[in-house]
Amino acid sequence: MTNSPKTASRINRLLAMLPWVIANPGAPVDEVCERFGYTRTDLVTDLNTVFVCGLPGYGPGDLMDASIDDDEVVVEMAEYFARPLRLTAPEALGILASGKAVQSSGSGGPALDRAIVKLEQILLPDGAEAVVVDLPEPSLAGDLRRASKGGEVVRIDHTSIASGERKVREIEPWSVFSTLGNWYVSGHCRTADAERVFRIDRIRAVVPTGEQFDARPASYQPAVRYTPSDEDARAIIRLEDSARWVAEYYPVDVLDDAVDGMTIRMSVGDPAVAARLLVRLGDTAKLVEGPEVALATAGLRDRILARYAGHT
Amino acid sequence: MQNVIERILNLLAFLLTVDRPVTADDIRHTVAGYARESDTAFHRTFERDKDLLRHLGIPIEREATDLFEVEFGYVVHDDRYALEDPDLTDEERTALALAVQAVGFGGRPSGQEALMKLGGAVGSLDGTELGADLGEQAEAVVTAFAAVSERRLLSFRYRGRERRAQPYGLVHRRGHWYLVAADAGSDDIKVYRLDRAHELTPGERPGAFTTPDGFDPAGAVLDHPWDAGRDPTVASVVFDEPVAWIAERELGPNAAIDRRADGSIKATVEIAAPSAFLGWLIGFEADAEIIDPPELRHSYLSLVGEG
Repeated sequence: MTNSPKTASRINRLLAMLPWVIANPGAPVDEVCERFGYTRTDLVTDLNTVFVCGLPGYGPGDLMDASIDDDEVVVEMAEYFARPLRLTAPEALGILASGKAVQSSGSGGPALDRAIVKLEQILLPDGAEAVVVDLPEPSLAGDLRRASKGGEVVRIDHTSIASGERKVREIEPWSVFSTLGNWYVSGHCRTADAERVFRIDRIRAVVPTGEQFDARPASYQPAVRYTPSDEDARAIIRLEDSARWVAEYYPVDVLDDAVDGMTIRMSVGDPAVAARLLVRLGDTAKLVEGPEVALATAGLRDRILARYAGHT
Repeated sequence: MQNVIERILNLLAFLLTVDRPVTADDIRHTVAGYARESDTAFHRTFERDKDLLRHLGIPIEREATDLFEVEFGYVVHDDRYALEDPDLTDEERTALALAVQAVGFGGRPSGQEALMKLGGAVGSLDGTELGADLGEQAEAVVTAFAAVSERRLLSFRYRGRERRAQPYGLVHRRGHWYLVAADAGSDDIKVYRLDRAHELTPGERPGAFTTPDGFDPAGAVLDHPWDAGRDPTVASVVFDEPVAWIAERELGPNAAIDRRADGSIKATVEIAAPSAFLGWLIGFEADAEIIDPPELRHSYLSLVGEG
């Protein structure tokens, strides 16, 4: 038998609750439950556990005193648990980075700013600003979030990253979120009659329509997914050593990996994505197989060269 | 589970009050919950309990029980156990709770345990959905953070080379965590992408260096991939009306923008790494054209013509 993660999280919560209750005698049961995420039953169980623990001897004078009296939580004889346990590195990074992300996006406030300064003072050397989260919210995110909260249909002028296609779309914005450094709006696109996710930095304008939409599905979870489908274009590409980063950056299958380079298989919704990558890689990559991508790549080269030819 | 929790609370209470290193044998015969176990069972149980306490962040250290270092025992030093009180108000705790709720790491929130140790939060917290995700809290990021906060030297592998650095700060930008560090030999400031760093090992000694006054880690991380390099050249590029707004947003405030009557723009921008810039430009296909300098225009045409 090993000590389960559940045991660890119960002890963690106990060691957080005890110092607070000791420092705030007479705290109401409801408040203790709210602060530490307890149900009343679980709190009673933990207090009963505390009640039978203490120092060697384990007689009445050695055990801690823990009970609920007149709806107040009482813990005594437990001075050694009066100070909260320091934060582990993942805990400290988690709370500090969360606070800084919200601050950077512009949706924090003075209380959050003060809390971050106080945390930096105890978590970082000399309270330095050694952890930075850069997540500025694009200006249109505010309009989209308001529309999302108010349930209002909007028209967006959007240019696709993959194809470069520009289209005015009518969408029911369900959610505005950021993942891996980019901001997105997701929702039902009436123009495509499907659920879609759009990058906000590729939206030129947002126009309210005044029309309300029905609430989004309750189970909806915003996420950016790329699921390869049968309709995708596939390409097999040989990468020279200096182009290896492609295999880290894009979701690809590595078919062959040797000292001088690697062969990958890529699956793309739009051949234009692979075409741009191939042109960019120049002579450090060769298309081995993939007729649609070959066609798109040749077309892209021709269009760029034609433009430059017009001026020389 | 009940017995385990009781035994661990008793063990921790003993270690926090005994004030000297105590041997495993002392613990076995003193702390309630161990006495009835056989030798092997005791050692297994005790190892597990120690692991669990260490996993929770409790600094159980192994030290000699006497001057002659004949016998070793376990001790928890109070100054390393306890959290320094940041003196938060309830309003500040609630602001942190909202942030913890709004930010995810690879789809999961992180920081609730921290918030509990800081006293938990009260007030209405419902209705905040996950607004931002900073990516998995990878081990490399956690190790680098610990080294930054304790000022330990950090050794790691990066692009096939061994590095040894003074970690000054961590920056999350464009979806990646970057480590900003001074080279242990040369004091040059370097920036590393942590998802490409391997085998991070913190040094033994905390407080091994000092960060220069007013050092700004964010300023060390470049805004654009084409900023990396020496001897920048100035380039001007025309972007046609349909894409001009995208180019302007992505170039940022350091580019000089000349607006023209047909809605197109001429952007003048410093380029230190031409290949990175040309790679970006391909995304604009035939809607962009390099005007100056002729060498950059020429490099672009040979890149595009290479098929």
